[in-house]
Amino acid sequence: MEINPRSFHARRMLVLSAAFLVILLGPLGNYYFQINWIQGWYQSLGIGNFWFVSPLEGLESILVAKQLYLPALIAMLAPVVLALLLGSVFCSWICPISFFSELLDWIRRKISGRTWLKDRLLLSRRLLWYALLGELFLSMILGAPIFVFVSPPGLVGREIMTLIFFHTLALEGVIILLVLGMNLVTRRFYCRYFCPLGAALNLIGSRRKVAVILDHDKCTACGLCDRRCPLGLSPTNGMTESLYCWNCGECIDVCQSQALSFQWRQNPEKVQNEKLNQRLK
Amino acid sequence: MKRRDFLKKSGAALCLITALPETAFSKGLLKSPVTTNRLRPPGAVPEEIFAGKCIRCGRCVEVCPYRSISLLDIRAGIFTGTPIIAAEAIPCYLCMKCVLICPTGTLRKTSQEQTRMGMAVVNRHRCYTWEGSIICRTCFDVCPYKGSAIILDELRPIIEGDHCVGCGICTHACPVTAEDGSKAINIEPIYSRETVQWK
Repeated sequence: MEINPRSFHARRMLVLSAAFLVILLGPLGNYYFQINWIQGWYQSLGIGNFWFVSPLEGLESILVAKQLYLPALIAMLAPVVLALLLGSVFCSWICPISFFSELLDWIRRKISGRTWLKDRLLLSRRLLWYALLGELFLSMILGAPIFVFVSPPGLVGREIMTLIFFHTLALEGVIILLVLGMNLVTRRFYCRYFCPLGAALNLIGSRRKVAVILDHDKCTACGLCDRRCPLGLSPTNGMTESLYCWNCGECIDVCQSQALSFQWRQNPEKVQNEKLNQRLK
Repeated sequence: MKRRDFLKKSGAALCLITALPETAFSKGLLKSPVTTNRLRPPGAVPEEIFAGKCIRCGRCVEVCPYRSISLLDIRAGIFTGTPIIAAEAIPCYLCMKCVLICPTGTLRKTSQEQTRMGMAVVNRHRCYTWEGSIICRTCFDVCPYKGSAIILDELRPIIEGDHCVGCGICTHACPVTAEDGSKAINIEPIYSRETVQWK
């Protein structure tokens, strides 16, 4: 499979690599050069005086400790606005687990020589919401936020930092291997069904402004996009406009007839009604 | 599944979940890792809510110029990923960088003098000067608040609880090391046991 440098896949890999470099160079700079400009990883990231706090981790902290802290709320604002506008793009364009999963997929395609990777085990997508609910529920019962110390994207950062600062690896890194290993059964198995952060971002982005829209007139129903989607969604059935789509743009790349494109949705419900009316005519 | 079965099973599941803290506690998974010479960074909230408030972003570890702060791993139970200072290894030198970058307010902003990580306690059965074997005043010499936090009474060190910040520099410098790794002057994290005032 040749890679078109202007495809969304190429751009996404570039952003994912840059996002990974941030959490790699941050600890390196801190440890070897005492440059404190970047601290942390994707639980809370400080770039200069700009702070970001992951919305779910911040919410858990507030729910469990029952205390509000203004800097944390402000730091949660940027990720929330990003998710409101673009949906859960953190998952597909930034998350280090996504970065590793993409690399793993690439290696698997190289080794097997196949263009398409199979999903062997499919579960109900609604599991995602139960994962989020269960996780919040359990955190509040235990009195400690669960996701903050077992969140795979956070763990990647913590392992890198532990390696650089203490020249060792923390035990909980096994979770990363497990999550990545699940990719061999079904692509993005953890992201699809179990990631509470993904669920929270999907919820925030439920009325996202930018979405992949299918032009029914151009679609030839070849099904290439259905096979390509890393989440196993079906763009031909309009599932890109559902809660679960993370706007990675893989389906747009693979479409031969340019039927799919990122579009700014003015009023999602109105547009959908219009489309329905058109199809009924 | 019949409705009765469903209710039974969900009831059982609920019992299991509510029993979780109990079982976790018995295995030490809910036990705070803060003990003698194992301290939280400056300005830390009480242990009661520390695990709940800290989001384990590790920024305090990265920013610490002395590498005093390290992270706990999964063996610390619910305290996994929280920062800890081993006072006898590398104490806190009160640069106050970590309190400025904590994004969740788990480390509250405090001044150097108002930091209370713990209180130094002299073990008079181990201290050379108190035992009368030799005259050593290492702890007094290294204390950043010597004269107020630590005073000499007939050359023997005495801690003034009102002024001791619990940084552990004295513990680190103390020449006496017992078999269990503790020193003749140790930091007791008495303030971490405070309870939170709910308003």
